[in-house]
Amino acid sequence: MASQGLTYEGCNFFRQRLVLSTLSGKWVKIKNIRSKDDSPGLQDFEASFIRLMDKITNGTRIEINQTGTVLYYQPGLLFGGQVEHECNPQRSIGYYLEALLMLAPFMKKPLRAVLRGVTNDQKDPSVDTLKVTSIPLMKSFGIDGEGLELKIMKRGMPPGGGGEVLFTCPVRRTIRPVQLTDPGKIKRIRGTAYSVRVSPQIANRIVDSARSILNKFIPDIYIYTDHMKGGNAGKSPGFGLALVAESTNGMFLSAELASNPQGQGSPMLPEDLGCNCAKLLLEEVYRGGCVDSTNQSLALLYMTLGQQDVSKLLLGPLSPYTREFLRHIRDFFQIMFKIEVQKQEDESRRGGDKVLMTCMGAGYANISKTLK
Amino acid sequence: ISKPVKAKVSVLSEEAEEDDGDAGELGALRWKEGLAQKASEAFLRQQQAAPNLRKLVYGSVIEEQNSPSDEDADEIGGLFRVSRPEKSRSRRVDAMDCSRFVPDSPHDWDQEEVLNSIRDCFVTGKWEE
Repeated sequence: MASQGLTYEGCNFFRQRLVLSTLSGKWVKIKNIRSKDDSPGLQDFEASFIRLMDKITNGTRIEINQTGTVLYYQPGLLFGGQVEHECNPQRSIGYYLEALLMLAPFMKKPLRAVLRGVTNDQKDPSVDTLKVTSIPLMKSFGIDGEGLELKIMKRGMPPGGGGEVLFTCPVRRTIRPVQLTDPGKIKRIRGTAYSVRVSPQIANRIVDSARSILNKFIPDIYIYTDHMKGGNAGKSPGFGLALVAESTNGMFLSAELASNPQGQGSPMLPEDLGCNCAKLLLEEVYRGGCVDSTNQSLALLYMTLGQQDVSKLLLGPLSPYTREFLRHIRDFFQIMFKIEVQKQEDESRRGGDKVLMTCMGAGYANISKTLK
Repeated sequence: ISKPVKAKVSVLSEEAEEDDGDAGELGALRWKEGLAQKASEAFLRQQQAAPNLRKLVYGSVIEEQNSPSDEDADEIGGLFRVSRPEKSRSRRVDAMDCSRFVPDSPHDWDQEEVLNSIRDCFVTGKWEE
């Protein structure tokens, strides 16, 4: 097992390679990382990610060459426990958290991670979105109980950061297979309009404009306004909106937008941000499926690692990230999904075509979990 | 792929219209009748055949990894090589690692018919049975 490994090129899909390597126990070598770039090699946020991986594992071997263009990663044992990490503010905490969500159920000890850095930015899924979409998704795979929590202690906007998030997750020996083929109908829309170090009135303006669009579909809308002050507000000003639509079958679709970071780009009107975010949510509803586009790969990973039974999941169109993730799953676990397109009739008013993903679980067992 | 077929259809429809007068009188070139319709039917059939997503996901990897090594062509005076980091392939390989899926061509959600396309996704829409 230890002698097996895979070689890749380039810095794209960096996290999924390291995560799948850690879960499968196969080493991974990534060559030519930004080798033709003006600033070659691994960047600070990737180095920060590697340090986080080192903190949650035991006996991981990491070798990086002088210029940082080649990385060799030999995974160790997933240990978990208490972890504190200073996330590099080039990427938001969501970047690091997405990997932790994938790994947390398979650790030796339940994970209790405190992550500090940027909570909301324009690139990655924000902590707010992951809290309202990924956590319910994990519950449907049997990862639940009191220990599962994602809490925003302090908010931090780019470029300064200064936010703090607490993530705790129980461990599981096996993952339950799922049959999520009927998304149901959307019964309510919730959201959080946040603002830090700006006028608290901005959050209200966002709420009004987002409601004006969403009210055409459904009356049950509630958008919380979250204005943090003083020490909880981080180092930089900013505002944004995270929306989530909940269906009758307990499925969640999300959309979000954040303001331009201080000193970058032109200032945004809160009204425009609210409108555009509401339209993004409608776009996500049009795509549809049981899992929204940001959580596709998380759900597919849990399906792959489930017990040896058939899992089914209905998705919207596969994102480029998910397509590459499927290829990586094949490389690391030799599991291929059955992918069927479900056409929508012309008369139906239920959005675009859906994709039904079917796979047989690998029967992955968390052998490092201590028995009580 | 769809573009050339469409062009063909339009050309054929012109031909068919021209021939309509002669063919009706002579009755000899019957196979030419309704060529435009046949072509458009064939086109629709091709469109409706579900794209093989499995092949799209799992099949194309080998092709992508076989990068053509035509870098010699960029040599200047046989000594220096023009470095082109903005090549499409290297850009994908070193692109930003991000799981968000931003729509390429978002719908115009100000139009009523676009809004109608998702009406039944909500509890306020029509229910089956």
